[in-house]
Amino acid sequence: MTTTRREFLLSLGGGFATLVATLVAGGAAARALGAQEETRNTMSGPMNQTAYLPVRLAPKPNAKPALTERQRNDLEHQLQCQCGCTLDVFTCRTTDFSCSVSPAMHMDVMGLVAGGYEAQEILAAFRKVYGEHVLMTPVREGFNWVGYFAPFGALAAGAALVYALLRRWTHPEVASPIALPNVNATPDELARLDDAMRSDQ
Amino acid sequence: MILVGELSLWVALLMAVWTATVSFAGGTLRRSELVASGERGTYATFAMIVLASIGLWTALFTHDYSLKFVASFTSTNLPKVYLFTAFWAGQAGSLLFWAMILATYSAIAVFANRNRNRDLMPYVTGTLALILIFFLATLCLGANPYERLDWLPPDGRGMNPQLQNPGMAIHPPNLYLGYVATALPFAFAIGALITRRLDAEWLVAVRRWALLSWFFNTTGIILGMWWAYVELGWGGYWAWDPVENASLLPWLTTTAFLHSVMVQEKRGMLRKWNVVLVMCSFLLAILGTFITRSGVISSVHSFAQSPVGNWFAGFLAIAIIASVYLVATRLKDLKAKAELESMVSREAAFLYNNLVLVGIAFSVLWGTLFPIISEAVRGTKITVGPPFFNSVNIPLGLLLLFLTGVGPLIAWRRASTANLKRQFTTPVVVGIVTCGLLLAAGMRSFYAVVAYTLAGFVAGTICQEFYKGVMARRSMYDESAPAAFVRLVARNRRRYGGYIVHAGVVIIFAAFGGLAFKSENDLTMNAGDTRTLTDAWGHKWSFTSDGVSRYDVLNRQVTAVTLETRRDGKPVGLITSEKRQYFSGTDPETRVATFEPSTEVGIMGSFRQDVYVTLAGVTGLDTSEIRITFNPLVRWVWIGGICMAIGGLIVMWPQPEKRRRQSGYVTQLRPDTALAAENA
Repeated sequence: MTTTRREFLLSLGGGFATLVATLVAGGAAARALGAQEETRNTMSGPMNQTAYLPVRLAPKPNAKPALTERQRNDLEHQLQCQCGCTLDVFTCRTTDFSCSVSPAMHMDVMGLVAGGYEAQEILAAFRKVYGEHVLMTPVREGFNWVGYFAPFGALAAGAALVYALLRRWTHPEVASPIALPNVNATPDELARLDDAMRSDQ
Repeated sequence: MILVGELSLWVALLMAVWTATVSFAGGTLRRSELVASGERGTYATFAMIVLASIGLWTALFTHDYSLKFVASFTSTNLPKVYLFTAFWAGQAGSLLFWAMILATYSAIAVFANRNRNRDLMPYVTGTLALILIFFLATLCLGANPYERLDWLPPDGRGMNPQLQNPGMAIHPPNLYLGYVATALPFAFAIGALITRRLDAEWLVAVRRWALLSWFFNTTGIILGMWWAYVELGWGGYWAWDPVENASLLPWLTTTAFLHSVMVQEKRGMLRKWNVVLVMCSFLLAILGTFITRSGVISSVHSFAQSPVGNWFAGFLAIAIIASVYLVATRLKDLKAKAELESMVSREAAFLYNNLVLVGIAFSVLWGTLFPIISEAVRGTKITVGPPFFNSVNIPLGLLLLFLTGVGPLIAWRRASTANLKRQFTTPVVVGIVTCGLLLAAGMRSFYAVVAYTLAGFVAGTICQEFYKGVMARRSMYDESAPAAFVRLVARNRRRYGGYIVHAGVVIIFAAFGGLAFKSENDLTMNAGDTRTLTDAWGHKWSFTSDGVSRYDVLNRQVTAVTLETRRDGKPVGLITSEKRQYFSGTDPETRVATFEPSTEVGIMGSFRQDVYVTLAGVTGLDTSEIRITFNPLVRWVWIGGICMAIGGLIVMWPQPEKRRRQSGYVTQLRPDTALAAENA
């Protein structure tokens, strides 16, 4: 055993000191993040039904609906209901009739579609009113690219690391035992031996 | 009994403090009587927590509304089965449940290792006790299930209707069993690092617990998917919700570990990596709990938020610091005992598989935390929803599926060209034929075609392995095919159980491919109205509304709509979807509505697809707002899950050491001798 009594007691004291420090720091951080709400039911309890904000634009001249019903539904899948349910507008309004926010947002979408607006224009209009968080996925611009690229970047970095490690570990010059000239066995026996060595069994 | 339970909680905390102190002291000072005292302390802590749990169940069943927990999550008219499950319906109870599972696991680990791993056990016991101290302190000081109200309410608030589902009786316990089991490998890793006994011995104990964790996490996740599908009514089973993601993270790292541990057992490699994976699994389980409890990320599951998130943040920070310190100071002891001979070998394939699994874990964690990161960097709130996760994880998932087929077929150490040809010809042909057939049939969805092609390839590898094994046994022992199959699996449970798990993965991926053909239809129907829709298979479905009916059942008022359903003109049955309004109290005059109305979907399932009907609501007397979703291949998700669970059970099933040695995994587990011989 390598740990002395003194080290043990020091570690114990250090551990408790870290615990206290981290609890204090963690508490402060969580407060800063607004995590102190005692109970905030969102699953089926009270939600924020006042979160609706009207999104309306004047119809385009000679406006005709630019989207089919299916395209409109797809569009509503890209907008988040603001009641706090975390679902998209289409799913929320066709699942939970007690929510008043998603039907209102749906009506706004209908109005904009009837006004001749394209999907991207409608998304932009919602973004302007509610902010970026109304979109179910981050817009591909600016810092958000970090969000999209980071997983693949990390994977590429990991792959490069693995490749480097494999290059360092791999020894292609190591000769297979099967190639040794002084083994007293027939090629068939060697093949079976090789098979057995490589097999998982 | 309730008072006994309350007191037991405090006694359990004291016992855990005693256990941790004397265990670490006993291990450090090499005092066997202290170590023994620590082990007895583990049993005593377990007994106290069981008493505390019995006390809470007693309070729930006797409707003791003086307890805030009982009043918050139950009501007099709640069915008895849900009085039982109310234990984990709220914050405090679920933490006590967690502590009870951990105490049970700890007692089992101490008992099972009473004659083994004696150098490690003081630190294992001590680490587990430290984790228990955290949970018990959180319970006693932060979220006490025995907290009393200042007044006695006549009835409780009742249980969230969405938790009143049989799935909720088994899904959370399964997830907790899986989550908590990550603590055992973590504790063994801490013990092995402290004592620097990082030979293969500790892996044996760790692997079993990791398998147990993997098994329960798998079943827990699948049951959660099933519950979300049948209960929440939004038409899917996975929404990339932060809490769903939190359950996936330790599963991914545990899965990676279960593959890489084979490389360490066989070849003495990836020793650092395995320790890191074990620790990450536990830390991610704690992180997941922090996400669930703290409320820093909004989630559909955030029914149990409270300031205990701070406690978890603190504990997580300490655990990370301790883990990093121990690994950093033991790097020399974790040096690999063999080197890779080829990039085309099974150990290399497992390394690639680990890379992808950890890559997926990172992308899921990144997507979950990115809203916080974005807000911190830009000051702008964003939403990271399913489209983001799908765009990132579908390619990675397909890569993983490909490696699922490649890994088991490549030889250890070095694969020759002949070996590759022999092993891969048939599966590749199966994959290509599958792809050709799908393209010829008109399938044009890129990801679906790739998924089914890879599924065909991996299915080919699995079938080939079983075929070869069965044929070998038949020729050697003259057995019938079924007998050869059963004995093949029984003789090498780890290998063939693993293949069954892989088969489950293939089935699930194939089912996921069906999502490309999902269609949703939003309808408004009066009584007698008929609507006709076409599914992805080209069948014409007609739905005729029988109108809206309203009636009372148990503790709820039900509003239901029934659709007479025909496929291609032939009647196939009725589909009923409900809205339920739950009440507290049984008297119709005085009862009070609790919670918002919940949805009960109507599902007409088959192996091809589910016809999924959701009653969104009713306007007027007889007009129903309905969503009808055609969900192809959903049933195969559950079948794949069952397959994975069966495979997991087969792998976990104890096997005599002699047989394990024959299968190649035990020979190198004798402390260092075999590896030393091999290296020499």
